[in-house]
Amino acid sequence: MTARDAFLSAPTITQTSVSNDHLNWLEDEAISILREVFGGFERPAILCSCGKDSLVVLHLAMKAAAPGKLPLPIVHIDTGHNFPEVITFREHLVKKHGLNLIIGHLDDSIKKGTIRLAHELESRNPYQTITLLETIEGNRFDAMVGGARRDEEKARAKERVFSHRDSFGQWQPRAQRPELWNLYNTRIAQGENFRVFPISNWTELDIWNYIAREDIELPSIYYTHQREVIERNGLLVPVTEITPPRAGETVITRDVRFRTVGDISCTCPVASTASSADEVILETITATASERGATRMDDRANDAAMERRKKEGYF
Amino acid sequence: MSNTPHSAASRPLRFITCGSVDDGKSTLIGRLLYDSKALMIDQLESLANSSKTARGPQSKEGQLDLSLVTDGLEAEREQGITIDVAYRYFATPKRKFIIADAPGHEQYTRNMVTGASKSDVAVVLIDVMKLDFSQPAVTLLPQTKRHTAFAALLGLQHTVVAVNKMDAIDFDASRFERVVTAFGELAASLKIKHFTAIPLSALDGDGVVAHTARSAWFQGPALLPHLESLVLDDAHGTSATAKAHVAVQWVTRDVSDDHLRWVTGDVAEAAIKVGDAISVFPSGATAVVAALRTGRGDTTTAEPGEAVAIRFDRQVDIARGDWIMAGSVSDTPLTQRASATLAWLDNAPLTLGRRYIVRHGARWLPARVSAISSRLDLASAEWQTGDGAGAEVKANDLVRAEIEFAQALPLAAFAESAARGAFVLVDPGTNATAAAGMIQ
Repeated sequence: MTARDAFLSAPTITQTSVSNDHLNWLEDEAISILREVFGGFERPAILCSCGKDSLVVLHLAMKAAAPGKLPLPIVHIDTGHNFPEVITFREHLVKKHGLNLIIGHLDDSIKKGTIRLAHELESRNPYQTITLLETIEGNRFDAMVGGARRDEEKARAKERVFSHRDSFGQWQPRAQRPELWNLYNTRIAQGENFRVFPISNWTELDIWNYIAREDIELPSIYYTHQREVIERNGLLVPVTEITPPRAGETVITRDVRFRTVGDISCTCPVASTASSADEVILETITATASERGATRMDDRANDAAMERRKKEGYF
Repeated sequence: MSNTPHSAASRPLRFITCGSVDDGKSTLIGRLLYDSKALMIDQLESLANSSKTARGPQSKEGQLDLSLVTDGLEAEREQGITIDVAYRYFATPKRKFIIADAPGHEQYTRNMVTGASKSDVAVVLIDVMKLDFSQPAVTLLPQTKRHTAFAALLGLQHTVVAVNKMDAIDFDASRFERVVTAFGELAASLKIKHFTAIPLSALDGDGVVAHTARSAWFQGPALLPHLESLVLDDAHGTSATAKAHVAVQWVTRDVSDDHLRWVTGDVAEAAIKVGDAISVFPSGATAVVAALRTGRGDTTTAEPGEAVAIRFDRQVDIARGDWIMAGSVSDTPLTQRASATLAWLDNAPLTLGRRYIVRHGARWLPARVSAISSRLDLASAEWQTGDGAGAEVKANDLVRAEIEFAQALPLAAFAESAARGAFVLVDPGTNATAAAGMIQ
């Protein structure tokens, strides 16, 4: 029997539900971290890709600020290669909540010459970091709140809640500050900043249970829809102008949903008929592949792909 | 839904695995994740690939090297060691768990302290292969003692001793008992009231989810069922007469009404209720709680651990760094000089009399360490007050010191209130976190 077979045939003792109390505990922890940001920094902002994790963070931030107004802007790093449904959703969100939206355009970095693509249709995902760092510098942000979770990936499992970045935006994983109780050491020198992760301790299942409980609105592509895809290396690659079929590949139409939302050139959907958060939860409980493993081409490069990007300043 | 917003019974149990290098911490976590099916197929396949190339010290031919599950940094995989604490999440039908996998090397103790400060339970791994059973008394490794001492001083609620690699000594019950005796002596000198020792093999799985024929002589629980059954007491140490304290994080104004001020922070020590009389540190102003809000909406009571927004019945001068204290000003004594335990973390040693910056609650203020009264000697696990006590305080040292703050604070003993009893000491030059402090 292979390790994989042994693993699959072993009796399951994993959880099947998430309690309300547990979500309250996570909610309180996140609200407390967000108020540290509101009260402890001069120029903070929330990074919002309009993915489900950043939308949960935004929801928590509005709760942390209530009954007051959200005291900081939201920042979208726009690669220009977006799913149209996500941009429509972004505009809807800004209008609904009266948000102060700041967009960092990758195209602006290309025009300035700080990003040079090898060719027109190259994946823009690896270059996001440059535009992000330019947006931070340009706005003199001292804290960027993000929706990263420690259960997503090995390098993220090592990161502090308040992650110190030097003036080049770099993470130094071997020299992280100790982080004691909730007494965060938020002191920085000129030009440095923090990346802050209020949902560090949430799992994918927690996120979906919270979305269901709080009725958090998501872009439509998170739920089942029909889409033209190509089966490639075990992934369902969406057919778009940027990711056209290669010679010899067959385009098929499948019922799919996205588990993560990123740059169009590197995000793949999974086969699914789940049309609500509750149905996604059922699928998540029985899922056998991790969120990023099933959907992200960018993490597949090698074991340390995320760590290297983070060292360069990726969030 | 119960009345308590997140009772200790329903929040995740947070545990840290600690002990010396290569005692099998990472393997044990890999085993727990594997046996609880918290690993996904792609993670398992990545593990199968890594196991063929990089071999951890404990791996056996033909087996998955479970220790590779947690080591996430390139340098860690290359060197086969753990440098920084990694957090992992898994759940059984009974409970959710957050694991902090701490590094064993002495030089990375600060990362172990990071994980321990947010843990409820210390799982101390002991590698029986590294112990000398030829002498009448078994001597534990220095790093086992150091980690146990840090965990005890940080006030973790439970201690579990995982006596690992029992497979290598044929699950010899008498040697297990001798390890338990040695740990019992350490626990007594560190004032750890209670611990549970479990014989196991993280590599083969005996004693982790269940005991096997090899460990059938052991009458106690296996590790996972034991962790599932532990009772957490978040009011641990607080007395029945404890009063609510809130370190003020941020002040905002209502968007809808008359721009009323709301003050936010985490509730500590006791519940706060609408109608409670409070006083404010440092202004001494008094007021009555008029309204409360949590993430769940308006409420009349907020429990310890809840993040709360508070409105008062009158205008009060209050800002980040202040404290809201239930009762009158005289109910919470203010102290400027105190004895504290310091866990020194920075590579730069302590300079007596130097001005450091301290964070207590949400307040930053200068402070200086005026004297060292004793230090923990790891060999004996005793606090020594002799000549050695005054020697240089270096990274990973545990000392008792006299500290003077720039102003009198509403301090409490750490054992009675973690919120008012803990502080961090920061180097004002480098901004490095120099020490964790606990008021005695």
